Amino acid sequence: MILLKNARLFDGVQLHGGATDLLVEGKTVTRIASGLSGSEGARVMDLAGRVVAPGFVDLHGHFRDPGQTWREDLTSGARAAAAGGFAVAVAMPNTEPPLDSEALVRDVRERGRHTGGALILPAGCVSRGRSGEEMAELASMVEAGAVLFTDDGAPVLRSSLLRHALLYASDLGVRIMEHPEDPDLSKGAQVHEGRCSALSGMRGMPAAGEVIGVGRAVALARETSCAVHLTHVSTAQALEEIRRAKGEGLPVTCDVTPHHLIFSEENVLTSHLSAIFKVNPPLRSLGDVEALWEGVADGTVDALGTDHAPWHEDEKDLPFVEASFGIASYECAVAAVLDEGRRRKVPLEALLRLWTSGPAALLPPWAGVPGRIEEGGGAFLTVLDLDLPLEVNPDQWRSKVRLTPYRGKRFIGAPVATMVAGALVFDALSEPPHE
Amino acid sequence: MAWSHRNLLDVDVLTREDLETLLDQAMHMEDLMDRPVKKVPALRGKLVVNIFFEASTRTRVSFELAEKFLGADVVNWASSGSSVSKGETLRDTVWTLEAMGADAVVVRHSMPGVPWYLRDKLRRASVFNAGDGAHAHPTQALLDVYTAWRHLGSLEGKRIAIVGDILHSRVTRSDIIAFRTMGASLVCSGPRSLMPKDMGALGVEYEPDARRAVVGADAIYLLRIQMERQMAGLFPSEDEYHRLWGANEELVRRARPGALVMHPGPINRGVEIESRVADGPQSVILPQVKSGVATRMALLYLCMGGGEA
Repeated sequence: MILLKNARLFDGVQLHGGATDLLVEGKTVTRIASGLSGSEGARVMDLAGRVVAPGFVDLHGHFRDPGQTWREDLTSGARAAAAGGFAVAVAMPNTEPPLDSEALVRDVRERGRHTGGALILPAGCVSRGRSGEEMAELASMVEAGAVLFTDDGAPVLRSSLLRHALLYASDLGVRIMEHPEDPDLSKGAQVHEGRCSALSGMRGMPAAGEVIGVGRAVALARETSCAVHLTHVSTAQALEEIRRAKGEGLPVTCDVTPHHLIFSEENVLTSHLSAIFKVNPPLRSLGDVEALWEGVADGTVDALGTDHAPWHEDEKDLPFVEASFGIASYECAVAAVLDEGRRRKVPLEALLRLWTSGPAALLPPWAGVPGRIEEGGGAFLTVLDLDLPLEVNPDQWRSKVRLTPYRGKRFIGAPVATMVAGALVFDALSEPPHE
Repeated sequence: MAWSHRNLLDVDVLTREDLETLLDQAMHMEDLMDRPVKKVPALRGKLVVNIFFEASTRTRVSFELAEKFLGADVVNWASSGSSVSKGETLRDTVWTLEAMGADAVVVRHSMPGVPWYLRDKLRRASVFNAGDGAHAHPTQALLDVYTAWRHLGSLEGKRIAIVGDILHSRVTRSDIIAFRTMGASLVCSGPRSLMPKDMGALGVEYEPDARRAVVGADAIYLLRIQMERQMAGLFPSEDEYHRLWGANEELVRRARPGALVMHPGPINRGVEIESRVADGPQSVILPQVKSGVATRMALLYLCMGGGEA
């Protein structure tokens, strides 16, 4: 039994004024009221006015497990996620082998419950072997616990397969998450097509490639009336397509990453082409960054997804063209976005929804991810200290990653505790940090 | 004069005063090249390693001559392909060279940014960029500015027309910076499919019609057209390219009288340039080659020779 005293409650939708107490018994939030006292033996945590939110949900994490565990594994990644304020993380299926069968999904589902960190929920591949040709056994993977389907790392290769998978999955209640990109337009490309490609001489990924990917998904959502989720949207034009589709009433949703909100192609240039800024989709123009923040503020964006993509130093400390695409950020993504959001005067509630009720609504109800705080609901909680200064030091990360563009950055506001089904998996309030 | 640089990665770090210092120094070096005994002991006892990960004859030989004329010990580290395919990482290669006592590394690589990457990895040695991908080629820019300056005098207000494949040209990216620093203005011409999307980022005008682009130009700079670009579908044929953007006598007549004809070499006769133009009275293509040795000598001397002229 844990009693959280003097919390400022964000229930998933609204931030409430004044302080309240929450009583957690077993895996459940049993009482929300002021002046609560726990029974004998209850652990009492005085939050002194810090924000309590529904446990943050990340729809897009790469755990590299099975098969690539020198980069990350379920335990290191889940503990990193928890230390970054995430109670739940969806594991992308582009592992080795890819999660394209009932057995592999079940393995990640089972191991993902017992990491001592965030609860890991597996996503399954849309196609067998993630090759984009034949449909994987989607229904069997749902039975084993898959909460999303995606060929992430790449779009679903064939449009006909995407169409069939949308239809097939719609009756399973599990969404397809599409990585919008035209692989032909981005072949061999390294950076954003624009200032960065012009000045660096590297091949650019035009915004048009993402627009084509979004346009294909939107057209198929219209055709099939099936829901589709677009992940890591990075350009103003693609976001505008999504805004229009939503205006039309189509079941289209999207997420954006913290690094596309924080960094731009200018970082690639000013770092003299440092590979720590190499990511797909590439860091875009300053105008794109502004457009993504507008999408966050006006509700076009449904969720923030980290796209935490860990690599070993030997795969990243290389010349730009040789290095792998990806940025790892679990242990600082929330702080980075809180800090930048405050600077941009984005309402806190709007941001918090994108980590809570927003993404939770995109997962099947049986996944047990509440995205809300209510009496009788599951005790998935994230505690934020909005005034806490954080200096990003990857040498102390729980993640295996040490190379990140966030190193040394200073942010104000950070998660200080994370609870998963009643268990405190991260608690910087009681323990000194970096023990 | 104060010379504060010990590396040269790109020309964007050089001020106009830096460039003028270097041009003066290069003029002395060119005089030296005309003497019967060309060697001076300015870099005696210094070890310079040329690592060329990409095929290059003229730039490598030009650097090697400059190093030898200054009395340096020179090693050419043969390497090809990516560091990964060689099985040794780039940083291990340069650390190895530094451990052998290299005072300077001259590097050519197909990947943009490699010279900066090496500069950050090396503890002591100077780094000179001999061309990285389509990104930068600072010593080509120095020799081009020097050649134009020797023939035109001050470059303030002068106009340079660059014709060709701007998209894949490291020469253009560095030349634009250096010529602008010296007060010149630039216009680029060539098929739009061989231009970066954001020409504005480069700070130059774009005129698709070569015959218009060269009007008023004090120099016409032609870039080498590579067959592989045509294979990649960026333009239809060499014949059509030659007809629309190739330099013939008529195109040269449209520029200012006596305008220079420049080319980084090696030239494709009958593609981007006709023989009559390449070998004609306005061509400074061979003086560019000599300038290359002189400017590289000046650069190495200023960066490694103790600086006091």
